[in-house]
Amino acid sequence: MKSKKSSETTKIKNKPEKNWPKIPTDLDPWRPVWAQQKTFDLASGKYLKIWHGPQHPGVTGNMSVELTLEGDVIVEAKTHVGYLHRGFEKLMERRKYIQCFPIVCRICVPEPDFNEYLFATGVEELAGVQVPERGIWIRTLVLEMMRAASLTMGLGGQAGAFGLVPIGQWGVAHRDYILDLFEELTGGRVYHMYIIPGGVRQDLPEGFAEHVEVVMNKLEKLIADIERVMFNNAVFKARAKGLGYIPPEWIEPYGITGTTARAAGVPIDVRKDNPYLIYDQLDFDIILGSESDVYERTRLRKEEILNSIRLIRQILKRMPSGPVRAKLPNVLHWKIPAGETYVRAESGRGEMGYYVVSDGSEFPRRVHVRGASYTHAMAVLERLAVGISIADLAGLMPSLQTCPPEIER
Amino acid sequence: MENILKRLQERFGVSDSKQQRPNLLFVTVAARKAVETVTYLRDVEGFKHLVLISAVDYIEQNRFQLTYLLHNYQTHSDMGVRVFIDRENPEMESIHHLWAAAQVYQRELKEMFGINFPGSPRVDEPMILEGWDNIPPMRKDFDSKKYSQETYFPREGRFTIDPIKQMEEKNYPLEAEVKYEIKKIVRDNQNKK
Amino acid sequence: MSLKDILSPFSAWKRTLEKPYTVKKPIEEREGADRYRGFHVNDIEKCIGCGTCEEICQNEAIDMVPVNFIHAGKGDSGLRPQIDYGRCCWCALCVDVCPTGSLGMSNDYIWVTSDPQEWVFKPGVDDKIWKDDDKGYRRSDEAWLLDPKLTPMPVMEPDVRKNTFDEMAYGYEVVMAVEEASRCLECGICIDACPTHMDIPEYIKAIRENRLEDGLKILYDTNPFSESCGRVCTAHCQDVCALGHNGDPIAIRWLKRYITDQTAEKRNEILRIGKSLPQKEGTVGIIGGGPAGLTAAFYLRNYGYHVVVYEQHDKLGGMLRYGIPQYRLPKEVLDREIQTILDTGVEVKYNTTVGKDISLKELKEQYDALFISVGAQIGTQMPIEGIDTPGVLVGLEFLDKIAEGQRPDLGERVIVVGGGNTAMDVCRSSMRLGAKEVFVYYRRTEAEMPANDEEIEEAKEEGVKFEFLTTPTKISKQGDRLKIECIRMQLGEPDATGRRRPIPIEGSEFTVEADTVIMAIGQKVDSSMAEQAEVKATRWGTFAVDPDTLQTNVKGIFAGGDCELGPDDAIHAIADGKKAAYFIDKYISKKGKHHAETK
Repeated sequence: MKSKKSSETTKIKNKPEKNWPKIPTDLDPWRPVWAQQKTFDLASGKYLKIWHGPQHPGVTGNMSVELTLEGDVIVEAKTHVGYLHRGFEKLMERRKYIQCFPIVCRICVPEPDFNEYLFATGVEELAGVQVPERGIWIRTLVLEMMRAASLTMGLGGQAGAFGLVPIGQWGVAHRDYILDLFEELTGGRVYHMYIIPGGVRQDLPEGFAEHVEVVMNKLEKLIADIERVMFNNAVFKARAKGLGYIPPEWIEPYGITGTTARAAGVPIDVRKDNPYLIYDQLDFDIILGSESDVYERTRLRKEEILNSIRLIRQILKRMPSGPVRAKLPNVLHWKIPAGETYVRAESGRGEMGYYVVSDGSEFPRRVHVRGASYTHAMAVLERLAVGISIADLAGLMPSLQTCPPEIER
Repeated sequence: MENILKRLQERFGVSDSKQQRPNLLFVTVAARKAVETVTYLRDVEGFKHLVLISAVDYIEQNRFQLTYLLHNYQTHSDMGVRVFIDRENPEMESIHHLWAAAQVYQRELKEMFGINFPGSPRVDEPMILEGWDNIPPMRKDFDSKKYSQETYFPREGRFTIDPIKQMEEKNYPLEAEVKYEIKKIVRDNQNKK
Repeated sequence: MSLKDILSPFSAWKRTLEKPYTVKKPIEEREGADRYRGFHVNDIEKCIGCGTCEEICQNEAIDMVPVNFIHAGKGDSGLRPQIDYGRCCWCALCVDVCPTGSLGMSNDYIWVTSDPQEWVFKPGVDDKIWKDDDKGYRRSDEAWLLDPKLTPMPVMEPDVRKNTFDEMAYGYEVVMAVEEASRCLECGICIDACPTHMDIPEYIKAIRENRLEDGLKILYDTNPFSESCGRVCTAHCQDVCALGHNGDPIAIRWLKRYITDQTAEKRNEILRIGKSLPQKEGTVGIIGGGPAGLTAAFYLRNYGYHVVVYEQHDKLGGMLRYGIPQYRLPKEVLDREIQTILDTGVEVKYNTTVGKDISLKELKEQYDALFISVGAQIGTQMPIEGIDTPGVLVGLEFLDKIAEGQRPDLGERVIVVGGGNTAMDVCRSSMRLGAKEVFVYYRRTEAEMPANDEEIEEAKEEGVKFEFLTTPTKISKQGDRLKIECIRMQLGEPDATGRRRPIPIEGSEFTVEADTVIMAIGQKVDSSMAEQAEVKATRWGTFAVDPDTLQTNVKGIFAGGDCELGPDDAIHAIADGKKAAYFIDKYISKKGKHHAETK
């Protein structure tokens, strides 16, 4: 990568902040825009190729973007993942079902409980195990707390990517309060290993509901602070509004789900469309936006945190009593009848799913993890990055909520 | 979903089907009909969301199973289209023209299983593994434990003893000799007749 | 860009005066939560070294290693877990699956060292600062991954069964057997406790995987009396079962019965009995057709020797037939099992008492080797007055007659003296013979009774009444009935065996009346034949043998079972029979380092 002398740098015609480039949205089935591959003549001196490296700016995770720049403007972006490949799907094929349970949570760092829940549900469906009522409610509580923690950190990361570093600290600190709650409940802070096939491992400890209420109040105060500091912030508005516009027609071809899709005005939410756990008994609305730019997505995430807090309060009030775990057959030699299934959940990022295939033996045949940000980081980012200034790329990536551990498990 | 199954059967021929849940149906179609089926499901039946493309290695039957999972946002139902392809020369038509996300899944499948999707953009570029020079790792004949023991160095000095053998050696060595010889004699007699 | 948007962010300054959340000294200022999964602790007294933690660890972080001050004993393999913290993921599955609850995790979370090898350590053995922590993750009842409840065996109701000699336990059905077999951890501690070291985890696995033919073969590798043992064995294996520490032990005996019952019809076919066996030069005479003798016969036939059994009664079986009543071990079951052994080609001479009809010396000359397994069939007589009064029976003779089919009338009131399994058999048989009241007098307390706990429970359910710390002193006839004078006892100092000696309480005599008194206080061996061939006997009347090879002082004569060990259970006799077969083969073929000739 040669460095350029400033006199040879190409002048940009339009300043990127004011005039966002027109993104072609034609979906000609014969030559769709995503199948067109361009090549750039690097020897001409007009283009510069740099590596937007794997140290994550914000909370994007360890992935890198290979950029081809024309001056300050990105003309091509290629996402490179692979820094966090641990081979979980292969590891699970040589472990018994109960031995798979401690490793699934490590597939996603910010939100490990969704993995545990999905694996447990997939296995329960194939094995025909019924989870008791209270176990289902506790699972929902854990998932909502997890969502609140991950989105709080995500907000912090988004702000930090634009240089609003104090909010980054606040986000991480308040996630820490929630991690303390998890430590009290499950025994682990980040990787809980709490949702086991059959239910949850142990019941809520004494006084847990009061501790949760204290933290929820702290979180509400924080969100009020963030609204004042980040959302009513001239710099943030100037940089984030209009950046990374995703047209609603892109939702289906790119498989965009979650907050990113809802910001574009498409009301898809797994909790409402395919209700799982007890979401059909809880009272909440889909949070919808209209302008699908970075500002809107961030605003929707803040609303999601407040939504999660409301859901957590509802769950704690209405939780029934009873056992929390169904008895499993002896887990040392537990064989599950052959079959395949797909289970999905709404994680903070989007639709997360597990495709579990069993073949009647003690080991799973194939477990395929569909990360929510699989297509966001690979296909969508490469399209959205074209035409924006390199300074804004760091702000664009957290808004897509990329999570490399779940992309490459 | 039974109506969809009927229509698929009429048009493309379904060899096997399973209604896993009221809103999840798996069907098996022939490999050469797969892209047609998927296009039909997307355009006519409304399964516009491609959830995932995955592969399962059935090494003892010498074939791969490709699964296309589609989701219909209007009826909230899922459709899993299973296709069997040969394991020796695994190749499948690409569907990158139907969905933009498909090329990412196909790229990963090429890298992990070795299934080729000719024409898919950037399908030969390694996505997750860099500088990999072994067989595609998700295949069942790739032994990951053996690979790790040969490539990396495990911690030395670890050994484990079976409790049964330990009790045998310490508590009843003589009776153990008796037991094994008698067992051998009895089994020899059973096997040779 | 409004003014509000420029001024609003300054509200962040109010946080400058807030106390930071981080702490300087984590472990002192902030303890791990009560349930925190920190570093491992292990109670090495409770730990039995079963290795289940090693089996479930998903990353192979646990090894079972020997510890130099812990010895392998009964129910304890002597190994303890060693955990490699380079591989551990702190999932606590090992804690949740531990059958004894010895493994746990403290809530300590800081360990700094410059030597990475230190992170392979033995919790509970290596001295660590968290070793005695109370807090942290421990196995709780709701998190426990094992099933402490056993599948109960359907049995006849006490009211129904006390009137009939039909078999009391119905046997497991398929679902129940598979459920019970699924509880097994396959640790293998039971193999050591079994006197004949049967491969218990293997046949339990065969039940679980529905491979009953393999299971039958595994049983017959070490025990040709599996069907009888499946009903009456004292089950030393169940006493040490890992699950028994915090729950019910696996019903190993009933599972054994399940295999043999289900394969009963095809047994000879599965085991290839009756087909040609090897032929070896050598003849062996077996004296006594009980469990020890017939086991030796079975294995000697498998070696290829010609075997002749001399039996005093007119039917084979020994104490299994004549000492255990029908409702525990039906005679049909015993018959078909013995038939399997006879089908290997064993020759039997019935109604022949060695020592009287034929002398031991003659047999010694006739056969290359002899195995004496006459058992302990003489009931001990109580040294009190009135023993020979009619109406006073000896327990073993009484059971003998019942086994032959007789059903004597014992009257309305029966008193049984004794506390062992024989006494339980006698009192329950008396109940079934129509006695209205059956008493058991035992000179110590219930805790010291040598009988099986199950037997005592079942006897109580059937209505037998127990009088502890009581013993008769004199029996006399009074008209139609017997008059028994008894005295109360109290427990004094322990005697040589460790049991507390009963001492009569002065002035506590009392008298009772009964129709029948049955003595079941002990058994003795009839070793009168020993002198015919100059075989030595011990001072208790048993045959003196070398404990390793079971050979007596006379070369070529071996002894085993009750007649060598003293009165014991069937499984010890079977173990002796198997061992004797091995050493007899070594003696006759003069091979191997245990060649008895050289001793």
